[in-house]
Amino acid sequence: MSRIALEGVQKRFGETTALDGVDLEARDGELLVVVGPSGCGKSTLLRCVAGLEAVDEGAIRIGDRDVTQLRPAARNISMVFQSYALFPHLTVRENIAFGLVVREEPKQVVRERVAEASELVGVVDFLERRPYQLSGGERQRVALARALVRRPDAFLLDEPLSNLDAGTRVQMRTELRRLHREIGSTMVHVTHDQVEALTLGDRIAVLDAGRVRQVGTPDEVHGRPNDRFVAGFLGSPAMNFFGREAARRFYEIPKGTVLGVRPEHVRIGTHGLRTRVDLVEVAGSDAYVHLDRGLVARVPAHLRPDEGANVGAAFDRGAAHLFDEATGERREWQ
Amino acid sequence: MSERRQVVLMLTPYLFGLVALVAAPALVTFGLAFTEYDLIRPPELNGFDNFRELLDDEIFGIALKNSLVFAAIAVPLRLVGALGLALLLHRRITGVGAYRSSAALPTVIPDIAYGLVWLWLFNPLYGPINVLLRWQGDSSTTTAWGVQPPQWLTHPNDARAAIIIMSLFTIGEGFVILLVTRQGLPSELYELAALEDATAWGVFRRITLPLMAPILLLLLARDTIYSLQWTFVPALVVTEGGPPEFSTTYVPLFVYRNAFEFLRYGYAAAATLLMFALTALIVWLQWRIVRRWRKGFAI
Repeated sequence: MSRIALEGVQKRFGETTALDGVDLEARDGELLVVVGPSGCGKSTLLRCVAGLEAVDEGAIRIGDRDVTQLRPAARNISMVFQSYALFPHLTVRENIAFGLVVREEPKQVVRERVAEASELVGVVDFLERRPYQLSGGERQRVALARALVRRPDAFLLDEPLSNLDAGTRVQMRTELRRLHREIGSTMVHVTHDQVEALTLGDRIAVLDAGRVRQVGTPDEVHGRPNDRFVAGFLGSPAMNFFGREAARRFYEIPKGTVLGVRPEHVRIGTHGLRTRVDLVEVAGSDAYVHLDRGLVARVPAHLRPDEGANVGAAFDRGAAHLFDEATGERREWQ
Repeated sequence: MSERRQVVLMLTPYLFGLVALVAAPALVTFGLAFTEYDLIRPPELNGFDNFRELLDDEIFGIALKNSLVFAAIAVPLRLVGALGLALLLHRRITGVGAYRSSAALPTVIPDIAYGLVWLWLFNPLYGPINVLLRWQGDSSTTTAWGVQPPQWLTHPNDARAAIIIMSLFTIGEGFVILLVTRQGLPSELYELAALEDATAWGVFRRITLPLMAPILLLLLARDTIYSLQWTFVPALVVTEGGPPEFSTTYVPLFVYRNAFEFLRYGYAAAATLLMFALTALIVWLQWRIVRRWRKGFAI
């Protein structure tokens, strides 16, 4: 059992509240992705679990142990940092072995575990090199191997892919997913990248201003967002929102609500609201069509209209979401 | 004006100073080392006579030994002191600015003033150091643990120790350099070490020391050069090269006396040249030894 649970965790830095009563659980063997904008407290959350920051209130459990008061090393978790945190003066082999060497494991054990971990992440070929001789992706693999080598109860990953170039990031994302399947340990992965969150996580926790807004599978948080923030944060391009007056062009909505519709659900054609195409962005197989009055549609690139064309825009009522105008909470259609 | 001309123009004052105050005197010293010159008669070439005489000169032998012993003791102590203070004061704690200032301050005091302060501090009778050591002693001349306090300025070894003690408080530059070096080390490395259960000693030995080693090595070389020259003012002002038997006569004071008191410029220049060669040799050896030592751990 190595689930990680945060119970009512509060963390303040002076006047700033970084975590505001966070309840969150990463189930045993689960890859939980914590996603949110910069400054939402997601890194603080991870550092509190690791014990690098003390919590002001609440409890943190790993497995069935309350680790709230334990020092970082006693929590038996491994962490991977955004900057990789490799020791520049040590070879790849020595970097991977670091945790075992400082715990004075027998040399035979160290050699075996290093071989095993480096095999798992594919760094066998450059064990004798130093970090500066490696590419970003290779460095991140070494950091992963170092986290694996100690066989911890759980892994904490703090934006491990953010410093990589786009291609390597996608590749490492897949490998991380595969690695998680192979070792089956509990992992908490923090990112600001919603695509990474949606593709990588068994479940996703969306964090904003120190509060958990929604926890659920990628399908749940994307398909049935709990509130307007989650709806707007996940998905690319972002969800379209209309107040009651603007929404009336499509559907009548209750007083005090906001209507939201994802760009991929907006149809462009001959039917619906007559409007003009302001701008078209082509992103490979998709095109983002910016219409007058702030409506964005996502259509297959080969079906895109010309800029300046007059088109009709429509969407199904069932695809649209309703949110409370004041609180942002999800409302159901009557 | 072309950029090249601007650069040359802006460098001119510095180059002028460098040539007039460093390069030219160094060249003159080099030349004088092979002459007999007393400021009155023109310099007279005498080949390697000065060097032969130096090797037989008992006082030069004592001065050289004093200088090397001083450097051998003071340099490691100074480096350890600067490193210790830097590691102690790199964190943000209440009043850290005041602590850092007080660690750096003695270095910026003019050497003569610094020497005069210590002359008072070391005074065997009413100097604060011995007053403190005699506190609660049985008689007016013993310490609380029943021995005579050090005779700083009159006993040969106590006087040598006094000069070393003085040198331990002028470590401001090394301290500041090591402080910023330590602050520049990534905090993630230390957080990782905390997660991996490294002890404080382990963190120092496996992370801090190796990562600061290049700067420490630079400071070692620099401090060695500095220490072989630093003794001049304290020896002149505080101990005047004594107590008898030249126990605090170091090479810089030896050079000064021969040149400006005995008017033996050629002889003093030869001693300077010898010291220069010896310093270069020591620094070169340090580089060689320490470069070999910089390694990770074997597994």
